[in-house]
Amino acid sequence: MSSRHAPSIIDPQLLARVAKGDHQAFAQLYDQSSPLLYTLALRILGNREEAADVLQEVYLEIWRKIARYDVGRGTPVAWLVTLTRSRAIDRLRSRVPRTPAAPLDSPSAGRIPDLGPGPFESRADQELRDAVGKALSNLPPAQQQAIEMAYYDGMSHSEIAARLNQPLGTVKTRIKLGMSKLRDALRPCWENGDPS
Amino acid sequence: MNHDELEESVPLYAVGALERTERQALEAHLLSGCPSCHASLKEYQSVAAILPFGLMQNSAPRPLKAKIMAARGPLPAAQDAGLKQGARPSLEPGEWMNHLFPPEAPTRPVWLLPALGIAAFLLAGGALYLAWTYYGQLTQDTTKFEQLQTALHQNTVKITALQREIKERNQTLTQVREELNRRTNDMADLKDVLIQREAELDDLRAQVETMAQRRGRPPQEEFVALLRAPGAKVVSLTGLEMAKEAGAVLVYDANVRKGWLYAYNMPSLSGGKVYQLWIVDDRPISAGIFTVDSGRKGRLLIRNLPDMSRTRQFAVSVEPAGGRPQPTGAIYLLGQL
Repeated sequence: MSSRHAPSIIDPQLLARVAKGDHQAFAQLYDQSSPLLYTLALRILGNREEAADVLQEVYLEIWRKIARYDVGRGTPVAWLVTLTRSRAIDRLRSRVPRTPAAPLDSPSAGRIPDLGPGPFESRADQELRDAVGKALSNLPPAQQQAIEMAYYDGMSHSEIAARLNQPLGTVKTRIKLGMSKLRDALRPCWENGDPS
Repeated sequence: MNHDELEESVPLYAVGALERTERQALEAHLLSGCPSCHASLKEYQSVAAILPFGLMQNSAPRPLKAKIMAARGPLPAAQDAGLKQGARPSLEPGEWMNHLFPPEAPTRPVWLLPALGIAAFLLAGGALYLAWTYYGQLTQDTTKFEQLQTALHQNTVKITALQREIKERNQTLTQVREELNRRTNDMADLKDVLIQREAELDDLRAQVETMAQRRGRPPQEEFVALLRAPGAKVVSLTGLEMAKEAGAVLVYDANVRKGWLYAYNMPSLSGGKVYQLWIVDDRPISAGIFTVDSGRKGRLLIRNLPDMSRTRQFAVSVEPAGGRPQPTGAIYLLGQL
């Protein structure tokens, strides 16, 4: 796959074409972003059918609300990731009773980054994936776990503390330290390529 | 929450780990335009946005694309003008990223120029629309900020009231403790007084007992004790010429030197005269005087009998008031050992 199709470098002009009702642009946006967004939804929900439902909901929302996207407030992929995560977490929270989406070591969860290049992966995405995977693997497991429980399981720090049977302050510190290390490690990614 | 606490909560906010109230507090703070928190959030939001790149990629189901393409409705007319540069932020729940950045000058991609050209004829109306939108948003944000300030003020007032109440209760508790100490001291004093009184009472009892021992038993008890004494002896006294119907019984114990005389049918005396008991060995020795009651009965307790080893007789004579050292009057009763 060429870098033209990398989700990390979706051109804002593509979204502008979608906003004008360009079907081809919308199809291209789907091709470029759906693996990342589907992976994210699958990681959060742990269920392929639900992930597909959420993905459909997200793309239809993109189609309807593309005008709300503000290029000054973030890159296209950041907007898409945020929208997808929000809808998937909403779906996760609507489950009764609430249970973890998937075991953290489930293969479907994709928790362990595959540092090898994918067959259809662009060089830009591969570099970004390597950087994120390396930054995550350099975190202490407790910090990585707390961040993933918040980000992928939609759990608040109180819920994480209760689930791990750890003091609330400990959980907050783990998240803050972990995010700080990720920020320092990944800063070149958005300073150079600006994926966000 | 103060500014440092708010700024420290930014990474938790970016990763979606804050509680609802904490999230609202930080959002209100961000809307106030704090530059350091905005800068911090922009970085942490960038981290959060690229986290999914660390996942092992999966492809969406193949039919999904066609399904989505078919499900799309007509594009809203409002979008015909293309992307809105600096459009109002979305504040929908969960879309936390959309309002992270302050309303600073948006970036201007190259494609913006033709878009602006297309939208030029809508410039006047668009400007009014944007102004109205910003004003509405600003009003909403100001209202929300004021609500938060009001809530903060109310909570502060509540905390102050609670602190005052705690202070008052502490004062009350201190007063109660002081009162309790005072009562405890009073009780200790009373206990000391009680102990002292009990000691005095014991002394008084001891004194009463000593006095009782000194005074001896009542006559009736002395009589009963004499009757029970194993060494007691009984002597009958019979009336002589002056009192033929009279008689008496004398019970005595030489060991304790005590005796009891009971006389009956004794003639009544006048002129202050009394009966006097005599213990006779070589010579008569007075053992005491007595009178008779209306029933002509007389009783005499003898507490200090003389040596009776040589006693031969007991006699009762009539004597002037107070008795005499030696018999002077007629003998009314006489008993032999």
